[in-house]
Amino acid sequence: MTHLLELLVQTAARFGLNYGFLLDAYQRASLVNGALTSIALCAVTIVGSLAAGLLLASMLTSGRVWIARPARVFIEVTRNTPTLVQLYCAFLVLNMLLTQAIGTANPLTPFAWVVIVISLHKGAFHAEALRAGIEAVPAVTLEAASSLAFNSRQLLWNVQLPLALRFALPSLINNLIDLVKMTAVASAIAVGDITYASIMIWTQSDNVLELMILLLAFFGLLSFIVNCAGRALEARLRMPGYGH
Amino acid sequence: MATDYPAAASISWPRRHPGKLLLAVIVVLWMAFGAPVNPAFVALLEWSPALASGFGQNIVISLLAIALGSVAGLMIGALSASPFRVARLPARIWVQVFRNAPWLVLIYFTTYVFPFELHIGTTWIAFPDWVKVTMGLALPASANVAEVFRGAMASIPDTQWEASRSLAFTRGQIVRSIILPQCFKRMLPPWMNLYAVITMGTALASLVGVHDLIDTAQIASNTVNRTGFTVLIYFSVLGLFFAWCYPISRLTQRLERRYAFS
Amino acid sequence: MPYTRSPVARYLPLFVAALTMLGGSVAAQADATLDKIQQRHRVVVGVLLSGGPFGSIDPMTQKPKGLNVDLAEDVARQLGAEVELVPVLPANRVQFLQQGKVDLLIANMEWTVERGEQLGFVPTPFYRVGGTAAVLKDSAITRWEDLKDQPVCTSQGSSYIKPLTGFGADIKAFKSSSESLLALRGNNCVAAVHDATLINPLVAEGPEWQNYRAISPELNPAPSVIWTRPGETDTQARLDSIVKGWHRTGWLIDAEKRHHISPPSPALVELHDKFQAAGA
Repeated sequence: MTHLLELLVQTAARFGLNYGFLLDAYQRASLVNGALTSIALCAVTIVGSLAAGLLLASMLTSGRVWIARPARVFIEVTRNTPTLVQLYCAFLVLNMLLTQAIGTANPLTPFAWVVIVISLHKGAFHAEALRAGIEAVPAVTLEAASSLAFNSRQLLWNVQLPLALRFALPSLINNLIDLVKMTAVASAIAVGDITYASIMIWTQSDNVLELMILLLAFFGLLSFIVNCAGRALEARLRMPGYGH
Repeated sequence: MATDYPAAASISWPRRHPGKLLLAVIVVLWMAFGAPVNPAFVALLEWSPALASGFGQNIVISLLAIALGSVAGLMIGALSASPFRVARLPARIWVQVFRNAPWLVLIYFTTYVFPFELHIGTTWIAFPDWVKVTMGLALPASANVAEVFRGAMASIPDTQWEASRSLAFTRGQIVRSIILPQCFKRMLPPWMNLYAVITMGTALASLVGVHDLIDTAQIASNTVNRTGFTVLIYFSVLGLFFAWCYPISRLTQRLERRYAFS
Repeated sequence: MPYTRSPVARYLPLFVAALTMLGGSVAAQADATLDKIQQRHRVVVGVLLSGGPFGSIDPMTQKPKGLNVDLAEDVARQLGAEVELVPVLPANRVQFLQQGKVDLLIANMEWTVERGEQLGFVPTPFYRVGGTAAVLKDSAITRWEDLKDQPVCTSQGSSYIKPLTGFGADIKAFKSSSESLLALRGNNCVAAVHDATLINPLVAEGPEWQNYRAISPELNPAPSVIWTRPGETDTQARLDSIVKGWHRTGWLIDAEKRHHISPPSPALVELHDKFQAAGA
């Protein structure tokens, strides 16, 4: 294993790139840990954002003003403010206030805050896509279902959401790829993802370019995986009569 | 939805939004009487010129980035729609690379890898940090504009192409005189949406040391060193970005509705 | 169209290598610092503006102020040039100096063996400070060794990262001291490690920090020096005489009092006496 790494470092050195940190066990371990943390962050946030998006979309289309209005206000605020600022407000301000209120019983780690903030931020985008999907369900189908005595909750769960999901899938996949890229912002609050590990390495040894190439390749690979998974899902959930 | 506007327009604005009006009155009264006594608010007022100039820096970066990105994106979009594969391939690669790269990584990349001064002839031209951040944001902007442009061109019905070809227009003439004018109207809402997203992306400039709004807020929070003030200033930063991006988003929605049936 | 990576994998390194060559060719033509300063009548100094008495922003004029700023302005005045202040962060200050973006660094950057090998510095220090940790009053931490396996907040590029890693602490590095202190208040780390001149005034003044205390002794007390690029012996000699003059005339002690830096550093008094005896 180390022989392979040395070979890699030597070939890179011929292009003038200094990948020496790969040979240092501590820095290599921190980079690998960072990569795993990033993957865990992406996985948890994807699930969280889809759940948040589903909740917000059902609130938006519930038809009752006192449920739909707060959801709309929340969506507008999260969509029109930067993720970094939301993260700072949540982690630096809300967390501090929470700790002042309940002391050391505060269970939320930086990882948890990043998941919460990015899930809610992306959930707002998912909600918009799902709302467009729900509104695209033909009225005829809804009337037929309600004439079969579906109540509104069953209508949402059994008729609107499956169709809306299929309509909204391309937008949802685009949002998820954006989400994967957005997790890089977790490095701003020292979460220990791959971007943070790279920053710690390049502030000590000044090999920014080499680490940039590594980061771009890593995120490109993650986006590619999400993209492929999305296309496979699209192919499986394709509806006859609505093909592209 | 278009049919309920005439009925609502006959009621005056104050009667239609009583809640918002009440909220506005309460805020004004509090600012006039309650606020000057509160030390956190006094400190916020003291720091507001600094915050405003920091936000100005963000806006300058966003405007320049969208301008550069649009010019580059239009060229790349045109290339990617070319009939020649040798022109299409670099454009597709550019779009794929810069749409799949995290913006933070691109900003770190342009900030640390580019030199800080350009030596042209005998003069040295400074290459300040915020210009590097602008270029870092212009790269994904160009990729997104190229995609928007390609999407707009693809949404023009084939009949336009066939009809103009039957009138003996060359390909260049078709694109310039017939397709492009129709494209620009369709491109406007997603392009404005992109501008709002880029403005929010300028917040990342603070992580590389550009003296923008968030950096100013952090220095202020550290200098004044009071919890109430810290809470107030971070939420003011949120409010400033919201005040800039929300009108753009509403305008975009209005334009989308207007052009939906054209 | 199927998504392929191979064209990107082929072209990206070329694109990136072209950029590196551009960067390298420009950096190789930078002049020797003192000549450049005299030629342009301008000295570019990197200062750390994290808030606090050493470097901060005046909200009225939005101009930098603080001890670092006063030092930079006096250096420029004595060199007969005008000063250009560039705000730096602990994470990028070394790069700025090495790339030539700034000529000097007056950025709360203490001397360590590694830094002394990488960069040049003015031999006479202008300050002496070590690190201390702010912890909760009822925390179990009283010595540096107690930080083993505990999350500790600090700033990226700080000189305390190495000794803290030596103690086995789990480092959480933020962009600047402001976020690190807020993270401490949010209980995300058990201690925030920064210069004693930043932490001590904080825990001394109430009411925000009354539940916190600083641990002693100071970690790695080290002299703060002005940094230059390696090999710039003329610049270093010239600045050395300026710094000795500051100590001899007591200007630094006045500046420290003017900016309310507490506790006042005993090193300044020592150096003042030493240079007064030597010079007068």
